[in-house]
Amino acid sequence: MESTVKSTEAAPANGKVPLILGNPTFNTVTETISGIVENKPPRIWWGIFSVAVVLAAMGISMIGYLIWEGTGIWGLNNPVGWGWAIVNFVWWVGIGHAGTLISAILFLLRQRWRTSINRFAEAMTIFAVICALIFPGIHVGRVWMAYYMFPLPNQMGMWPNFRSPLLWDVFAVSTYFIVSLMFWYVGLIPDLATLRDRAKKGVRKYVLAAFSLGWRGANRHWQHYEKAYLLLAGLSTPLVLSVHTVVSFDFAVSQLPGWHTTIFPPYFVAGAIFSGFAMVTTLAIPVRHFFGLKNFITDKHLGNMAMVMLLTGYMVGYAYGCEFFVAWYSGNEYEQFAFINRAFGPYAWAYWTMIFCNVVVPQIFWSKKMRGKPIVLFIASILINVGMWFERFVITVTSLSRDFIPANWDYFSPTIFDVGIYVGTIGIFLSLFLIFLRFLPTIAMAEVKFILPQANPHAHENH
Amino acid sequence: MDLNREHTRLLESSKFGTFALIGGVIGLVLTAIGYFVVSPGQMYHSYLTAFFFWVTIGLGGLFFTLLHHLTGAVWSVVLRKFSESLMAALPWMLLFFIPVIFGLHELYHWSHEEVVAKDHLLQGKAGFLNPTFFTIRGIGYFVIWILLSLSLFKLSVKQDQQHTPGITAKFKKISAPGMLLFALSLTFASFDWLMSLDPHWYSTIFGVYIFSGSVLAVLSTIMLVALFLRSKGFLEEVVTIEHYQDIAKLLFAFTVFWAYIAFSQYFLIWYGNIPEETIWFLHRWEGSWKTISMIIVFGHFVLPFVILVTRNSKRNLKLLWVMGFWFLIIHWIDLYWLVLPTFHKHSAHFSWLDFTAMLGVGGIFMAIFWRKFTGNKLVPMNDPELKESLHFTNM
Repeated sequence: MESTVKSTEAAPANGKVPLILGNPTFNTVTETISGIVENKPPRIWWGIFSVAVVLAAMGISMIGYLIWEGTGIWGLNNPVGWGWAIVNFVWWVGIGHAGTLISAILFLLRQRWRTSINRFAEAMTIFAVICALIFPGIHVGRVWMAYYMFPLPNQMGMWPNFRSPLLWDVFAVSTYFIVSLMFWYVGLIPDLATLRDRAKKGVRKYVLAAFSLGWRGANRHWQHYEKAYLLLAGLSTPLVLSVHTVVSFDFAVSQLPGWHTTIFPPYFVAGAIFSGFAMVTTLAIPVRHFFGLKNFITDKHLGNMAMVMLLTGYMVGYAYGCEFFVAWYSGNEYEQFAFINRAFGPYAWAYWTMIFCNVVVPQIFWSKKMRGKPIVLFIASILINVGMWFERFVITVTSLSRDFIPANWDYFSPTIFDVGIYVGTIGIFLSLFLIFLRFLPTIAMAEVKFILPQANPHAHENH
Repeated sequence: MDLNREHTRLLESSKFGTFALIGGVIGLVLTAIGYFVVSPGQMYHSYLTAFFFWVTIGLGGLFFTLLHHLTGAVWSVVLRKFSESLMAALPWMLLFFIPVIFGLHELYHWSHEEVVAKDHLLQGKAGFLNPTFFTIRGIGYFVIWILLSLSLFKLSVKQDQQHTPGITAKFKKISAPGMLLFALSLTFASFDWLMSLDPHWYSTIFGVYIFSGSVLAVLSTIMLVALFLRSKGFLEEVVTIEHYQDIAKLLFAFTVFWAYIAFSQYFLIWYGNIPEETIWFLHRWEGSWKTISMIIVFGHFVLPFVILVTRNSKRNLKLLWVMGFWFLIIHWIDLYWLVLPTFHKHSAHFSWLDFTAMLGVGGIFMAIFWRKFTGNKLVPMNDPELKESLHFTNM
C-alpha cells in the first residue's frame, strides 16, 4: 500500500495521477475482479457475514413480534407518533442517493473516476432502498393492510389520499427502486457475459448465460449498450432530486415549526448525497483492503469522495444555519421556540451530536494529508452516518415532542424493539451487500477498461 | 489562429465599450431625472431591480470562476476570461450601492422608526433590520466580493504574463473558502436587499432561488458575449460549437434547477397555507401581477425546457442567440416580480424608469467588463489545460 502511494506521486509527467494504478492490462483487470467472485472468499468475509446474518435474523424476528403485538412495542407516545421508523426510512433512502448520483450525474458530468466505484455504489443503493421500504411497510401497525398504500381498486371503494405526500412517497421510492435496479442491471450485462465466458461448471454457466442476455460483445451490442446507458443516466438524474424532495415534503407540507420550511427539498437532497457518500466510503475502504483492489479504488478516489462529503457537509450546514436564522428572523415565537428547543431543550444532546458529526467532522477533509488516510476517512464516514441519522431524529422527534400546547409535551425514549429493528436492517443491508460481493463483479470491469490509457486510440501520441 | 493578432484587431475595431459607456451615462442621467419627473419611489424601485440584476451577473461570473477552479473543469478553460471579466466588474457595483442607501426610506418599510414603533414583529427584527446594520452588511458583502474577484483576477493576469507552475493550486486555494463566502454573502444580500422589502415575509430557500436565477443569467451573458465576438469574426476557433453545446446543457440544467427551487418555495407555502406566508404570493396574484406570474412560470421554465431539450437546439447558434436574450429578459422579469409588488401593490405598472435604470447600471457594468476583457489576454494562454479545452468534443 505504501509503495503504491509513492509510485503514484512519482509517476505522472503531466501532473495528473492516473485513475487506475499499477498499469494493468485488460486481462489483469478481468483476472483481479473476476477472481473475487470465482475464488473462495477471505476468512473475514465469513466473519462479517455471520454477524450480519445474525443481526438480520434478530431484526426479522422482532418485526415478526411487531406484527403480532402491534406498534405499541415501540417507544411511540402521544405527541411523538412518528418515531424511529420514519427516521430509519429517511436515513436509508438518503444513503441510496449516492449510488444514483455516482452512476447517473457523475456520468453526465464526465467524471471518469466514478467507474471504479459505481457498481458497488449502485448495489448499495438497491439494498439501502430495500431496507428503507421495510419501514413504511411495518409501521402501519396492521401489515396485512399495507397494500392500502397503493391506489388499488377494492370492493370498499377506498382510495388513498392523493393529496398526501405519503402516497407520493410510495410512487417516488418505488419508481426509484425500479429505475435503479434497471440501471444497475444494464451496466452489469457485459460483465456478466465475461463471467459466463469464464465459468466452467454447468449451473453457474447457465445462470450467468441467462442473465447476460446473449451478450457477445459485438460492435452493435456496444453501440446499443452505450446509448441505453446514457438514456438511463438521463432518466435517473431527476430521480436523485425527486425522491428525497418528496421525502422532505412528508415533513414540510405540514404546519409544524421545524418541519414547515421552504429550504427542505434541496436541503434533504444535499443531506442524502452527504450520507450516501459517507456510506460508500465506509464500504469502499474495507472492500478495497480485503479484496486487494487498491489499484482500482485508489487514494485519489477516496480523496474525491472526501471532497464531495466536505461540500455536501457545507450544504447541510448552510441549511441548519439558514433555518436557525430565519426562525429568529420570522418573528414567529413558535418557530423560534422550535429551534431553541432543538439546541438547548431535552434533545440538545442529539442536536449537538448532529452538529458535531455533520458540520465539525467533515472539516478534517480540508487537509490533503487527512484525505489520504483511509483510517481517518473510515472513521469520519461512520461519524457522518451517525450524524445523518441524528439529523432525521432531531427533525422528527424534537418538533413532535413539544408542539404548540405545553400540556401535550412528552419525551420520547426508544425501546429495545426500536433499536433491534434498526440494527436488524443494518444486518439485512450488510448480508445483501456481502452476498453481492461474492456473486457479482464488485467493480465494473468493462467500464474500467475504457479509462485505461491503452483504450485511447491516441494514447501513444501524447508523449 | 493567431490570438495576439485577433486581440489587436479587436481592440482597434470594436466600439462596444464606448457605446456601453455612452448608453450607461445616458441611462443614469435619465433615471436621475425620473426622480423628479416621475416619483422617488418609482425611481428607487426600478433602480434596485437594475442594481440587483447586474450584481447577480457579476456574482454569477464569480461563481462560474470559482466552480471552474474547484472542479478542475477542462471544457470551460476557453471561457474563463469571460467569467473573470464579469466578476471583475463586481467591485464597481459598490458605487451603485450608494443610491440604495439613499433610497432606504422609499424602498424599505422597516427603515421608518414610526412604523416599527407600531409593529410588534418589526420590533423583534430591529436588531437586524435597521439602517446602520443594513449599510454595514452591504459594505461587508462588497468587501468579500472585491477581495475574491481582485485576488482571482490578479492571479489570472499573472498567469498570462509568465508560465508559473503551481498557479492552478493557488486558484483552488482561494476558490474553496471563496465558494463558502460566496454562498453566505449571496444569501444574506438577497435576504437584505430583496426579501426584506416585505419585512414580515420569510422563506429559507430564498437565497437558493436567487442563486439559481443568477447562474442562468451569467451563463447567458457569457454565451451572448461569445456569440457577439463570433459574429464579428473573433475567437471562432477558440469557442467552438462543442463549447456552446456545453453552455446550453448547463442552461437547460439550471432551467430545471430554477424550476425545482421555485416550485419548492411555492408549493410548500401553498400547501402549508399559513397566512403570513401565502400573502406574499397573493400579492403577486393580484391584477396584472397574475399575468406576470404566469409569464415567469412559462418563460422561465416551460418554454426553455421544451426548446433546449434536444441536442440539435443546443448546437443551433441562431437559436442560442435568442435564448440568451430571452433568459436575461426573464431573469429581469423575475427580479421585477420580486421587487415591484411592494410598490405597485395591486397591479403591475411598467415605467420608462425600469428601462433607463437597466441601461444606466448595465451600460457602465458592460463598459467595465469590456475594458477588463479586452485589456487582458482573451484566452488564458498559459493554462495547462488550454490545449485540451480547445480540442474538447462532446461524445
